[in-house]
Amino acid sequence: MSEPYATDQGAVFDLGYVPHDGPRLGRGAAIRATIRDGLRRVLGLRRRARKKVLPFLLIAISLLPAVGLVGFLFLSTTLTEADLTDTPFASHANYFDIVAGPVLIFSALAAPALLISDREDGVLAVYSSRPLSAYDYLLARGAALAIVVGGFMVLPQTLLYIGFSSLGGEGFAANLLEGGGDYLRSLAASVFYALAYGMPALLVATFARRIGVATGAYLGLMFGAGVFSRVLVDAGNDWAAWLAIGDHPHVVRDWLFGRTTPTLIPVDAGLDSWASLLVIVVITLATGLITDRRYRGLL
Amino acid sequence: MTPIIGSVDLGHAYGDVVALHHVNLEVPPGTTGLVGANGAGKTTLMKILLGILTPTAGHVDVMGIDPHVDPIAVRSRVGYMPESDCLPQDQTAADFLIYAAELAGIPTRAAKQRASDVLTLVGLHEERFRPLGEFSTGMKQRAKLAQAIVFDPDLVLLDEPTAGLDPEGREEMLALIGRLAGFGINVMTSSHVLSDIESTADWVVMLDGGHVLREGPLSTLVDAHTVEVELFDAIDEVIDALDRAGATVRRTSHSLLVSHPTADPFATVRDAVVAAGASIRKLASRSHTLEDLFLGDAAPSGAGVETGRSRTP
Repeated sequence: MSEPYATDQGAVFDLGYVPHDGPRLGRGAAIRATIRDGLRRVLGLRRRARKKVLPFLLIAISLLPAVGLVGFLFLSTTLTEADLTDTPFASHANYFDIVAGPVLIFSALAAPALLISDREDGVLAVYSSRPLSAYDYLLARGAALAIVVGGFMVLPQTLLYIGFSSLGGEGFAANLLEGGGDYLRSLAASVFYALAYGMPALLVATFARRIGVATGAYLGLMFGAGVFSRVLVDAGNDWAAWLAIGDHPHVVRDWLFGRTTPTLIPVDAGLDSWASLLVIVVITLATGLITDRRYRGLL
Repeated sequence: MTPIIGSVDLGHAYGDVVALHHVNLEVPPGTTGLVGANGAGKTTLMKILLGILTPTAGHVDVMGIDPHVDPIAVRSRVGYMPESDCLPQDQTAADFLIYAAELAGIPTRAAKQRASDVLTLVGLHEERFRPLGEFSTGMKQRAKLAQAIVFDPDLVLLDEPTAGLDPEGREEMLALIGRLAGFGINVMTSSHVLSDIESTADWVVMLDGGHVLREGPLSTLVDAHTVEVELFDAIDEVIDALDRAGATVRRTSHSLLVSHPTADPFATVRDAVVAAGASIRKLASRSHTLEDLFLGDAAPSGAGVETGRSRTP
């Protein structure tokens, strides 16, 4: 610190520059910081209010049915979980049909925000002077997307699990144990939904230069693939069921919960459940390889 | 003294286009200026030093580490201020600086303190809660410098740090760069504005068309012990007297440039003027500038180098 500039009114100190003598936490800390930044970005945290509107609206849409259902069951003196088995969203498995739409839209918005902003604003140059490889960066961004998209599904499932467990006559602890199997299956299904919806969104965002273009292209891809696949399968081309990207996580969910939904394109075309699992795994690996290749030389 | 950057026959090509060719460097610690016209290979060299680009020939090391072999180790110790934008538009300066420090492994509490200190240092403390997208060009350049030094690197690479700045902003940026060496941070500044390098660097690397034209201490490169003298009369007599004294004389439109291989050129001029009975209008030392050296050495493609006063044709 230099000598202060002093007057009879006070003194101005130039604090200068203080070297950092403390610890440097390295690569792991850099990855964690990138994940944290990704979470803030997709949720609009520490950004202006308008950046928060859409993500929190979508979260509310995915949570409200579960909140309403559990609340209704608490308030009702006559109804039990068993009475609601025919209600579309009154089970862990069925609830995925409610959240699939918001998750798809959220993925369409979040993946471009994670990748395109950094590329177009030139922020990759900052990452290139930090202890972080292109692989680390992409892993962290993918993890941020997976955490939020997964959270979209896990939050209402957890609410349902705790709500249902509070209502049965066996007592809370016994009900938790009894419903634990379905809850774990819903967690596993959430992972496959996050991969099936999130990875194509990341892949599109890897190449698009504008967030709006990436969002539109992703939604077009997901809906277009579904329509294209349905038309071809109806015309007798069963191979086209492999292309029904949006339906494959539903098939895997049904597989996990030991049930079948005949209207799903892969089921209609006679594809085995493992084929849907294979499609999700291939999409995940292909996205990883392609994005990693794209970012070499940029970071 | 161990060089902070060393290279042997370093080369890089983008397909058929050769960006760097047989670059041999031994840059000592301190403040280094990397001078060259646009396209001379300055940015390519910086990207190789950071491990972003892989050399197609030769070898380079930064603080004893090969950035191609261990880029993470190099990046842990090197800050980089790119020429182009590198700031997220929707984040505040404070949040981004904290993040930039955390990315380098600085713990969160220390990152917050360092972000605050460095924003004060670059004169952005009052603006720390404004989104970076609202910053002026000068403020953005200072924010870019801040992110490069916020994690206390051993070496910072500044790529055209005065680009787009008005004269006042340029002076402020150069003053900031000048202070970095005092903080124990080694600096490599790339610029095509030669006067910027002259005012900040003590070691100079001149690049042209991917080749190293010259490398050495600034004082050695620019100091040629030349005297400029303007006379009222008896010019030819003075030139004869200087010739007899063994001086080298170059006549320009309005003055004589005099140097002497062994004697003090001022004393030589004084004696010649007295012998010729001439009257002096002006007598001053005249050092070579980087501009003189660059324009004397560079190929015609050297166009694009700025003197800081006017663009060369």
